[in-house]
Amino acid sequence: MEREERRPVGAVMVVGGGVSGIQAALDLADAGFKVYLVERQPAIGGRMAQLDKTFPTNDCSMCTLAPRLVECGRHPNITILTCAEIKEVTGIAGDFTVRVRQYARLVDPEKCRGCGECETVCPVEVKDEFNQGLSKRKAIYRPYPQAVPNTYTIDIQKCLECVECEETCTAGAINPFMGDREFCLSVGAIILTPGYELFDASARPEFGYGVFPNVVTALEFERLLSASGPYQGQLARPSDGAAPKKIAFIQCVGSRDAAKGLPYCSAVCCMYATKQALLTKEHVPGADIAIFYIDMRAFGKDFERYYERARQNGVRYVRCMVSQVAGMPGSDELVIRYRTEDGVFREEQFDMVVLSVGLRPPAGFAEMARIIGIERDAYGFCKTWEFYPNMTSRPGVFAAGVILEPKDIPEAVIDASSAAANASRLLQAARGSLTTTRTYPPERPVANEAPRTGVFVCRCGINIGSVVDVPEVVRYAAGLPGVVHSQEFLFACAQDGIAAITEAIEEHNLNRVVVAACTPRTHAPLFQASLRAAGLNPYLYEHVNIREQCSWVHQHDPARATAKAKDLVRMAVTKARLLSPVITTFLDIEPLVLVVGGGAAGMTAALSVADQGFPVCLVEKEPVLGGNLRHLYYTLEGSDPQALLYDLTVRVEHHPLITVMTGAEIVSVTGYTGNFVTRVRQGDLEREVKHGAVVLATGAVESRPKEYLYGQHPRVVTQTEFEKMLATGRTAGLTNVVMIQCVGSRQEDRPYCSRVCCGHAIKNALKLKEQNPNANIFVLYRDVRTYGFKEKYYREAREKGVLFIRYELSGKPTVEADGEKLLVRFTDPVLNTGLTLNVDLVVLSAAVEPRPETARLAHLFKVPLTPDGFFAEAHMKLRPVDFATEGMYVAGLGHAPKMLPESLVQAQAAAVRAVGLLARRRLESLGVTVHVDARRCSGCGICLEVCPYGARFMDEQKVARVIEALCRGCGACVATCPSGATQQWTFEDGQIMRMIEAALLG
Amino acid sequence: MVRLAYYPGCSLEATGKEYDASARAVCQALGIELVELEDWNCCGATSVHSIDHLLALALPARNLALAQKVGLDIVAPCSACYNRLRQTEHALRHDRSVGRAIEEAVGFNFLGGVTVLSLLEALVRRVGVEAVADRVVHPLRGLRVASYYGCLLVRPPEVTRFDRPENPVHLDEVVEALGAEAVYWRGKTECCGASHAITNPEVASALVGRILALAREAGADAIVTTCPLCQTSLELRRPAGEAIPAVYFTELMGLAFGLPGTRTWLDKHLVDVGPVLSAVVQAVS
Repeated sequence: MEREERRPVGAVMVVGGGVSGIQAALDLADAGFKVYLVERQPAIGGRMAQLDKTFPTNDCSMCTLAPRLVECGRHPNITILTCAEIKEVTGIAGDFTVRVRQYARLVDPEKCRGCGECETVCPVEVKDEFNQGLSKRKAIYRPYPQAVPNTYTIDIQKCLECVECEETCTAGAINPFMGDREFCLSVGAIILTPGYELFDASARPEFGYGVFPNVVTALEFERLLSASGPYQGQLARPSDGAAPKKIAFIQCVGSRDAAKGLPYCSAVCCMYATKQALLTKEHVPGADIAIFYIDMRAFGKDFERYYERARQNGVRYVRCMVSQVAGMPGSDELVIRYRTEDGVFREEQFDMVVLSVGLRPPAGFAEMARIIGIERDAYGFCKTWEFYPNMTSRPGVFAAGVILEPKDIPEAVIDASSAAANASRLLQAARGSLTTTRTYPPERPVANEAPRTGVFVCRCGINIGSVVDVPEVVRYAAGLPGVVHSQEFLFACAQDGIAAITEAIEEHNLNRVVVAACTPRTHAPLFQASLRAAGLNPYLYEHVNIREQCSWVHQHDPARATAKAKDLVRMAVTKARLLSPVITTFLDIEPLVLVVGGGAAGMTAALSVADQGFPVCLVEKEPVLGGNLRHLYYTLEGSDPQALLYDLTVRVEHHPLITVMTGAEIVSVTGYTGNFVTRVRQGDLEREVKHGAVVLATGAVESRPKEYLYGQHPRVVTQTEFEKMLATGRTAGLTNVVMIQCVGSRQEDRPYCSRVCCGHAIKNALKLKEQNPNANIFVLYRDVRTYGFKEKYYREAREKGVLFIRYELSGKPTVEADGEKLLVRFTDPVLNTGLTLNVDLVVLSAAVEPRPETARLAHLFKVPLTPDGFFAEAHMKLRPVDFATEGMYVAGLGHAPKMLPESLVQAQAAAVRAVGLLARRRLESLGVTVHVDARRCSGCGICLEVCPYGARFMDEQKVARVIEALCRGCGACVATCPSGATQQWTFEDGQIMRMIEAALLG
Repeated sequence: MVRLAYYPGCSLEATGKEYDASARAVCQALGIELVELEDWNCCGATSVHSIDHLLALALPARNLALAQKVGLDIVAPCSACYNRLRQTEHALRHDRSVGRAIEEAVGFNFLGGVTVLSLLEALVRRVGVEAVADRVVHPLRGLRVASYYGCLLVRPPEVTRFDRPENPVHLDEVVEALGAEAVYWRGKTECCGASHAITNPEVASALVGRILALAREAGADAIVTTCPLCQTSLELRRPAGEAIPAVYFTELMGLAFGLPGTRTWLDKHLVDVGPVLSAVVQAVS
């Protein structure tokens, strides 16, 4: 070897602290790298922090994001650099030096406690950017209450230097002499996640934005809907504060608009408008909402259902591009003139108009690209390559999120994980070289102390506080037995809240903690960490959910919601007195990943894991690798899938860390996170694979249509079959071709959009036009869903003369045989007349459906499926590649229909998630495991039968013992034990009985 | 003293005579010297551009050549003439190949020294709204006016580059300078259908009816226009019973300035301006 291999730097810089950047940072930090998260704003969180709810689940955006923010803020391997930007990048992949400039925030983050006193005395009011200028903030401010870091910032441009804040700050945190500083950091890789900006709506002056106060952008409307917004979630229109009863949404403002230089589709607006319409209906019952659109692009997982739900809720979808919004003289009303489906012009008045503005690269990205020396694409986004979707033009610099192409949150999160995988792969040799592990103070023994309980009640902004009388609950808690301290928080989960709990434990010598807040699922671990930080066993903790169980379900009855909150707190305090510390055990993780499925996703995941240094076992049921990739011959952007297939197959087969098992199937799965044992049958042989994690990349199939003479007439084929015809030159004599979209999709028996078919049809149509420019191609469609940059090819197809003709589900086209040829009948909606075409070929865009064996695998691996039969991830938005059970991940078509590059990205994301687990080396057992009282065990063995995890065994003394590491805490054995010998930590009979008594005696 | 080449166009010699007279009088009152182009020819609107692209540019170009010869910017009161002249100037300035074809057809070289102005633009840009206000002797107090720009004065924006294309305001500013109230209404830039007035009068009638209804909705006493085609359409193609008058902005200026010919201009209208303007007219004459 002539070249000297130098070990790379085990640190990564992530530029941009939105949800993508946060994900990339967390993945890399967990995978053993030091991370610098650089953010231009005073806090991380990005756009997602500004959103009210998220589609298609209507989850509260901040509620799902906040735990991530806090995790980022607390992670020992993440350094957050806010008010900072990069100025220079030198060096090469593996060893960059980045010069960073950090602008003076004039508040010392080491000293600021985030109390907000400075804000109250500051005399300067300016427009609040976080609320899109719809409210005011002070010159010293924090962008939003849950901000991380929880440090105030002085807006130098607006500050009057009156020193009021400096005099008020008891922490002495304000430092007017703080200057900007520049420093250099050494990193091995850089990940760019700078996000996006919104289209400036005033550049479409016909919509009257900036002229009529009740014309707002979608993000402004989002803030109007938000509980933390300018009207505290009371939907009010800007002109007079009245609740709008009639609202129009105008789609594609700054999207699909070549005249404005924005020809691409922004991919998210159809769904966010649908979401806002549904939320508006909740805020203003009976509101009349019309969405004016071109094509409704509900292409993502569960989107079509969401769209359907909105329609059933009475949201009107009007297929018409509006050309003008006018004001009604003498009032604040707005008038929209539009053409109805039957060709009549109609004028309608609205109280408010929401412009669904598109996404574009942030203004500073051109400069960032120049500094780093990377290329931008034709639209000004970051240039990457179809099969290498996270790679920029400079080696070692990766990108993720909307800066690559407009996309929604889960796709940005997948992207971010994938970029992290790329970095982790590059820096494999330096993994763990610059990281530290989190240390907690030793646990304080509390066994001999009388219970000293602290009760912390959260307002969750107005989520809880507007219904439940929080001060009353706090007062009430203070009087309960054993309670020595109680207090309230605006947001307990904010960084200052977590720190305040730790402080209170120390100050009041607490040995039990009760938090009454939102859901324990996401938030209990956060609060438990504050116990550990104070040297308290984290299981001396009890969580009360007064949001879902009180303020949300009883929002119209505050008095009883408050009474219920008091009851729940009383029960928790009673139980807390009886809690004892739980000692967890540790278990080594089997450092191998099982990848099920050897298609594009499976092979990519396997390679990524292996390149990150962990062995992989790749199981494929077919005799050869490749899956659906074997049937792809070209892509929309012109890459060669067969070259990719060859490349992946060769690399997988020759990788020293990958064991390939083809013609193999999964027989059984036992074990648990970190220590799975899976039996695989290959021919007559069966072998056992021990693995710490598993990636399910089992794919999907093109369905066999049951209509349009498919299978009955040789000239009716599917898009995949047509693609093969095109690739093998069997298209001679094809002059008239009809393509029918949504065959088997978006209808009652298969109510989802198959996502790939619009692109697939256009790809094939363009290919045929390329081979035979005189071919006449008619695409019968319902909505053309060429989301993102794929819009370019839709336009290209139209320019080349491909005709797109819309049909409705209620009026499907018909196909009948005419000898060798076919007759296709349909109604043209523009001419409003029936037409018949005599064609040479009918191509059906058949639905993507789950493979038949998906259900069996789901059963074996104990993972859930969606109603459509695809794998169900842990969380639609923020955990799009994880299953709810740690150590199990999903990638590719088995998750939902998606395009090839999207599968590749998800596969890499799954890989880094698995590596993040394996890199921990050992796993801590759950706290809620069961234990057995040997004296009471009769040895009946019922528990052995009911345990789904094989965690119980009978010892020689006929006592049913517990393997703690296997126990998942389901409680089945506890419930069946006839002698009460089995008890579950933190759910012991005595604790539960006292809780019930407390409930009844209240 | 502002000197401009005056291009009246065909309609100002026929249906729009009162516009011609009022434009000349108002310009004189504001110190603009209008020098009528010698031997000017028809601009070709409203039909040629749908038949022959080069001819549609060459006809106005000949007038530009005349203006270039006298070294004066052209002012064209008619919006259709203005638009054709302006389109031609734009082509000469920005499209070399088309520009060359035009020059060859007309036999001149465009040197770029002269430009085309609408009358409104000339008043707002070369004299200023303040100067207009200063000249007012009879403020038109109490008169509610709907400023009607039509479709050709401000569009396409990359060619006209004068006022905001979606919500133009300069005519409103002039109206307010005269002491009248410019009402907010939503018909400012609607098309009056003039080019269909002969071939498809139903279309023109429907459009005119809508414009008048929108002005009424906004509570306007009168519509003020900048274009002889619009004005004629608004009078001739209106539905029966619609009484709101449509006057040229120069006529309103004549009223406010107290110019002696105003009465004779207003007398030429087909729709009686009396019921609404009488009070003001009485005061002036």
